[in-house]
Amino acid sequence: MQWFDALVQGVLLGGMYAQYALGMALMFGVMRIVNVSHGDLVILLSLIGISLASSFGFGPVTVMVALVPLAVILGWLLQKAILNRVVGDDPLPSLIATFGLSLALQNLMLQIWSANSRSLPGGGIESKSIQIGGIYIGLLPVIVLAFAIGLTFALDLMLKRSRFGRALRAAAADVEAASMTGINPRRVYAAATAIAVGILGFAAVFQSLRSTVAPADGGAQLIYAFEAVIIGGMGSVWGAFIGSMVLGISQAIGFRIDPGFGVLAGHLVFLLVLATRPQGLFGKG
Amino acid sequence: MTSIPISPASAAPAVTVRRQTTSGRIALTLFAIAILALALMPWWAKTGTIRMVLELCCYIAVAQMWNMLAGYAGLVSVGQQAFMGAAGYAMFVLAQTFGVNPFLAIALSLVVPAVLAVPCYFLLHRLDGPYFAIGTWVVAEVFRLVSTNLGWVNAGAGMSLTVMKDYSAFQRNIAMSLLCAVMILLTIGGSYWFLRSRYGLALIAMRDNPVAAASQGVNVKRLRFMIYVAAAVGCGLAGSVYFMAQLRINPASAFDPMWSNLAIFIVMVGGIASIEGVLIGTAIYFVADRWFGAYGASYFVVLGVMTVLVALYARTGIWGLVSRRWDAPWFPIRRHLILKTEEKP
Amino acid sequence: MTAVLSTHGLIARYGDFQALYGVDIDLAEGEAVALIGANGAGKSTFLRAVMGLLRVAPDMVRLKGQPIGGMATDRMVQMGISIVPEGRRLFTGMSVEDNLRVAVDQAQRMGRKGGWSLARLQALFPILKDKARTPVESLSGGQQQMVAIGRALLCQPSVLLCDEISLGLAPKVIREIYAALPEIRAQGTAVMLVEQDVGLAQSASDRLYCMLEGRVTLSGRSAEVTRDQIGAAYFGGSHAVV
Repeated sequence: MQWFDALVQGVLLGGMYAQYALGMALMFGVMRIVNVSHGDLVILLSLIGISLASSFGFGPVTVMVALVPLAVILGWLLQKAILNRVVGDDPLPSLIATFGLSLALQNLMLQIWSANSRSLPGGGIESKSIQIGGIYIGLLPVIVLAFAIGLTFALDLMLKRSRFGRALRAAAADVEAASMTGINPRRVYAAATAIAVGILGFAAVFQSLRSTVAPADGGAQLIYAFEAVIIGGMGSVWGAFIGSMVLGISQAIGFRIDPGFGVLAGHLVFLLVLATRPQGLFGKG
Repeated sequence: MTSIPISPASAAPAVTVRRQTTSGRIALTLFAIAILALALMPWWAKTGTIRMVLELCCYIAVAQMWNMLAGYAGLVSVGQQAFMGAAGYAMFVLAQTFGVNPFLAIALSLVVPAVLAVPCYFLLHRLDGPYFAIGTWVVAEVFRLVSTNLGWVNAGAGMSLTVMKDYSAFQRNIAMSLLCAVMILLTIGGSYWFLRSRYGLALIAMRDNPVAAASQGVNVKRLRFMIYVAAAVGCGLAGSVYFMAQLRINPASAFDPMWSNLAIFIVMVGGIASIEGVLIGTAIYFVADRWFGAYGASYFVVLGVMTVLVALYARTGIWGLVSRRWDAPWFPIRRHLILKTEEKP
Repeated sequence: MTAVLSTHGLIARYGDFQALYGVDIDLAEGEAVALIGANGAGKSTFLRAVMGLLRVAPDMVRLKGQPIGGMATDRMVQMGISIVPEGRRLFTGMSVEDNLRVAVDQAQRMGRKGGWSLARLQALFPILKDKARTPVESLSGGQQQMVAIGRALLCQPSVLLCDEISLGLAPKVIREIYAALPEIRAQGTAVMLVEQDVGLAQSASDRLYCMLEGRVTLSGRSAEVTRDQIGAAYFGGSHAVV
């Protein structure tokens, strides 16, 4: 029972990780870029959300309504101001630029919000739980998982069915050929990053409701997103989703074995996948 | 094909290869003097100065190792602190737990990063470009978490190097000075020697075009692997020396990502793929750290923004801008062909 | 006849290497022009330069008299120049229909109108209908070429540039593809055919240009140039106008 409980908690935790991983999978799939400040953006949005809640008395839903459009704009600006200039075959410029951005963002947040951990008051929702067959399931984690499934489904549908999705897949397959059909790669890239960071707007609200956030936490979020994407297999949003589940379950089971072993267990499963199935569980080849 | 006049084997060669320049000879002399000055520090510097110089030497060593990885081998790592911490811990365990002479322990501790680098590389090289970088970070995190959970390195609390009390302050100063000299000789001198060897030519060919280099018989994969292991050992040496001077080690300091921040800043601002750039970058970082370090977070915001700006607008860093104007390398690695025909009577 | 597309002293480089030395070529509405020449003569470079994939000065390329040289490739498409690129360059991982839809989407977005629709294209190349759901990478070379041509046509071009569309295909398939040419031209679309096969180029075009080492060495009406003239222009000799 204890292990089944760990499994359930792991899946719920995976719902949180999926919200970080989707954007990373999308950006890498289209531009072959890893945004090192991915996690710091989650923290930045969380802290902005917490400040909005405390200054104007916003509830979590209102914060989300404000934060997601803000995240979209932030992503679009990030692409226009920085990433469009460093996208290319050489991975170094984009890594260095986003690495520098990460360093600057982390320390900027430290100055504005200090090193303290904060969280978003959820009006009681964070402590509600339902009991199913002897297992307590938190209501909030279930909502997080439901959102993760919804976002994955919507992203997948958008990629497969919409005009923008087709342009995005075309640019991912061969950016020069895409421009030969009239696609403006920079515009597609800006939209992709806007969506990727936009999803982080949801993640930020849930992260700050579920636990606490502090300016230095971004690195860990980046690593979890990365591990989920690699475990699941690159190039598919459902791969990133399943990878998040595997990571969440690994951490939850590791945590049951020894509280100091939780995060490490996730890393070890990641390394195991890398050793045995480098293309990821759902990758081709 | 452009034709190159080649004289018959019997005659004196019409072409000579010039590999050293005036600026290079001056720099090499200065380098030799600097190594000597480092070794002789106890006779001209106070303990405080020696500790400061030691820190500076660690920065240079770590930055140069990162430069070899990112600038020449095309391997961008943000997790070299993994090997610094691993070697540091190995040295502490050998000296403190097993009573090995601390200076011998430093040499022995280098086996650990060398051995660990092999499986790490075999796992990480499967990751594509930017993902490789994040992978190196995960490895550093794994090392940190393992040391946090490991009882015989005193877990999260860390270890102290109390055995150093057996040595007098002067003896310790001599040791630190010699270690500085050896570290710079191995990382800077070693890199220079490596870049001027036939491997160096291959490396530059590889940096310019890996596909073309592979087709020219350069074993790109093996060279990358060799550099990765060598960089792990170089960072390990810096880690062992640094933590010996600190006399304390714990998981948070041993595997501090700050070392990656520092290496990236130094190399990118100074100028990637050049030894000169590392020295310039270190000087800038060191001075900035002394002057503005007190401003804490806002100082790091500036460093971060500067790194972004370099990546966007000046990818070759300061040395790149300098060498575009003046062709006077301190560490020349190019080969110049000089036609000798006009000198003949 | 007024030119739809014309180049004026077109010069292009790859880094330090100059690949085109002042090329003057023009195409009239509905005309088919062939561009022939040996490997490395600069034919593909010419197309890349026209499409804005290499840096060129604005005046060097004109569309209906307007200088467009060096504009972004997607702008070129928007203004009515399409290319069937060398090596087809299809979007792997996407179905045949999705490959074509990408072009339909963009034409719609850019407000380009023309005679081509998915249905009409599928009537021209029925295989595109039968294999609509198939991933493009599992198609044969000839079928892939049809997708590439279809994708370019769905951009509703007034000028269509074709880069070696017969390369590596069986003669029967080549005939099938070239049979579509009259229908494309009937639309008023000017077609430039870059070809290795001189005979094919000559029979399918109104006029032809021959290039050598980045220069035009022969130009004239396809029906009037002789084998000897082409031979001389192909391998060296001065520019001859017939």
